[in-house]
Amino acid sequence: MGGDTERKRTKVARPAARVAAAALWLTVTLASACSRSAPPVPPGFIQVDIETSPSATDPRFSTDATSSRVNELVFDSLLKVDRDGQFIGDLADSFARTSPTELVFHLRHGIRFSDGRELTARDVKFTYDSILAPANLSPRRAAMVRLASIDARDPYTVVMTMRAQYAPALELGMQGIVPAGTAVRASTPRGSGPFMLTSFARDEAAVLERNPYRPYSGPLARGIVFKVVPDPTVRALELAEGVCDFAENNLEPYLLPYLIAQPGLEVSKSPGNGYRYLSFNFRDSRLKDVRVRRAIAYAIDRAAIVTSVRRGTARVATGMLSPENWAYDGDVKTYSYDPARAAALLEEAGYPRGAGGMRNLAFVYKTTPDQARLGEVIQAMLARVGIRITVRTNEFATFYSDIQNGNFDLTSMNWVGINDPNHYYMVFDSKMIPPAGYNRGAYANPAMDRLVEAGAVTLDPAERKTIYTKVQQLAAEELPYVSLWWDDTVVIMNRRLAGFQPYPNGSLRSLATVTLAGGSGAEPSR
Amino acid sequence: MIQFLARRMLALVPVALGVATLTFALIHLVPGDPVVAMLGESAAPTDIAGMRHSLGLDRPLLEQYGAFLGGLAEGDLGESISYRVPVARLIAERFPATLELAAAGLLVAILVAFPLGLIAGSRPGSAGDLAAMGFAVLGISVPHIYLGPLLMILFSLDLRWLPLTGRGGLAHLVLPAVTLGTALAAILARMLRQSLIQVRESDYMRTARSKGLGEAAVLIGHGLRNALTPVVTILGLQLGALLTGALITEVIFSWPGLGRLLISAINLRDYPLVQGCVLTFALSYVVVNMLTDVAYGLIDPRVRLS
Repeated sequence: MGGDTERKRTKVARPAARVAAAALWLTVTLASACSRSAPPVPPGFIQVDIETSPSATDPRFSTDATSSRVNELVFDSLLKVDRDGQFIGDLADSFARTSPTELVFHLRHGIRFSDGRELTARDVKFTYDSILAPANLSPRRAAMVRLASIDARDPYTVVMTMRAQYAPALELGMQGIVPAGTAVRASTPRGSGPFMLTSFARDEAAVLERNPYRPYSGPLARGIVFKVVPDPTVRALELAEGVCDFAENNLEPYLLPYLIAQPGLEVSKSPGNGYRYLSFNFRDSRLKDVRVRRAIAYAIDRAAIVTSVRRGTARVATGMLSPENWAYDGDVKTYSYDPARAAALLEEAGYPRGAGGMRNLAFVYKTTPDQARLGEVIQAMLARVGIRITVRTNEFATFYSDIQNGNFDLTSMNWVGINDPNHYYMVFDSKMIPPAGYNRGAYANPAMDRLVEAGAVTLDPAERKTIYTKVQQLAAEELPYVSLWWDDTVVIMNRRLAGFQPYPNGSLRSLATVTLAGGSGAEPSR
Repeated sequence: MIQFLARRMLALVPVALGVATLTFALIHLVPGDPVVAMLGESAAPTDIAGMRHSLGLDRPLLEQYGAFLGGLAEGDLGESISYRVPVARLIAERFPATLELAAAGLLVAILVAFPLGLIAGSRPGSAGDLAAMGFAVLGISVPHIYLGPLLMILFSLDLRWLPLTGRGGLAHLVLPAVTLGTALAAILARMLRQSLIQVRESDYMRTARSKGLGEAAVLIGHGLRNALTPVVTILGLQLGALLTGALITEVIFSWPGLGRLLISAINLRDYPLVQGCVLTFALSYVVVNMLTDVAYGLIDPRVRLS
């Protein structure tokens, strides 16, 4: 009997044993899978959290903002833009426009790539030529259509020849330079910048170390780990814990009060040039009426939006160019919140209030999930003056396709890093309707066309400034866009870092000279 | 058993074909253009046309579909449009991370659900039952997107026991696994409780008790085995949810898995990559359900895999 029970016991215990065995197997498998440990952030390095992975680490093939933030620390270019938006030499010791179509750059001597090779005009020519070669399918080729040729006159002289007189030609000098012979779409190409890219794992991290041929002194960071953290709340938590040392312009405004309350963090804001606007579709006859556009402008309380939605991290905008831009003119027609005036304009345009106070005016406002809140705010504000707005939210690719195809009434988007005022040509010239350019609302005005086309070819700076003053005034009168705000550059930094200089365009170039408390090589607190 | 497996493997072919066709149709039907996403909106029309041609996107859709299926038959998933590397290589890089997370989530679910289910199922209506089921309701109700950051604040920020994000050692796996496994644990615990209550008063249970076996031995030895079949069914079905739940968990914990790859592929309209990722998810779901059927046979000798 006893033996029988014993036998039964072993038998009945089997399922539980199986479950336990399976659990054990899973544990062992996982433990072995996890035996590789994550590379910790090395001493003396700083961690910067970014929201998306850079699209390309080869500067000849990258177009997104994250890539350019990382790449400008690794690659030098002929020119760079200073804090006031002016072009200054980077690789170029000096540069000059020698004829209406020719630019000459004299390179500094003794610049070295991170493998020790000297950077010469041959590398510059190679970089530009490999972008211009149609077979390489570089997404940057389109921006260089004005460039007819680039030549190395001698090892330290580069000559760019334009197809025609082109005022913003200096923008072409902003391309990061790679060594001659670098393979197309190289994963870790060499550069001559303050850092070199030592490893890159897509959607995980890009690790930068000092370029051994760029001497530096003082307690500076030895390297930077750009870690991809897609969730904004998690970026905030990483900052609060001190895992992450630095983040710029990628935290939702509602998280700022929490971050400001952290004793280990310093939150600062400075003027930025990211520009948010409301755009109209001129293919719609109702929106062609300037009174309707002005009524909408008067009905939107932009100061309230900046205070509530942006939590004060923006300035109410008067136009596309921010006050830091050399061509800025703030003396334009402005539209402060005035619902009574909006109502009067709508009456005048032939849209009287009907049942329930609403007018016979309904528009579709297209947006993306992360901007849906702004859509709802605008919807509520326009409802007050009797305009009905339907907010349609789609993920970005669908939204973008709609905007490109003119399939919207109203939308709001933003421009980041506007530098040369020739941007007005790209967005408001009647020839720039997609796919040619960015005039998505199909705005067409011969007076605007004449001005922006003249601005593109006028070389004298004073004369150019006069032209863009008129452009800004006309844009404010005509309202192809309602200017909403300019984003501030918001920097959140661990207090062990010091000396970061923000740029209006969000450049992180100053990370190369940020100092670390406790000196370089100090063990970060984590 | 081998015959059964072979038959089920063969059944994978029509499933793969169906999934491949549906994915192909859906991703090509939604608006958006991979070439514009890559070259930018101001690209010259000639460049756009050139790229479209080089990627084969200018061919008729039916021809593209044929080429896709042809490649699939040879095990070739094509080349990613945005990353310019073979889709299979990208998936091979990322899928282990997702599997690791899903397996860890499953482990957490089992480790939590079995004790809870046993406590609740052995004495329905007791304080233990109420507490266990209270936890279960909470576990089902709290979404990943909320639970993840909550666990981070508690275990990473306040207690400083575990790292916040990223993939690395076992410590990195704990929070995402708990986030992912909690809902499944809750479902399993409830299922097990219900199942145990049903078998509690069966004849064989009474017989076991009358033989003088202790209540624990009766419950675990006789009760659990018979209560397990419905639980395993749910487990198999929920593993799909675990894989897709990993999508959100991967974003929260910056976990470099297949889910995040799929999300960025969709945003970039990277057709071959979307197709490859969805196919991988779908086939793993089918394989898991096949394994569930095998598990029935192991748990219940009355089920014959023939």
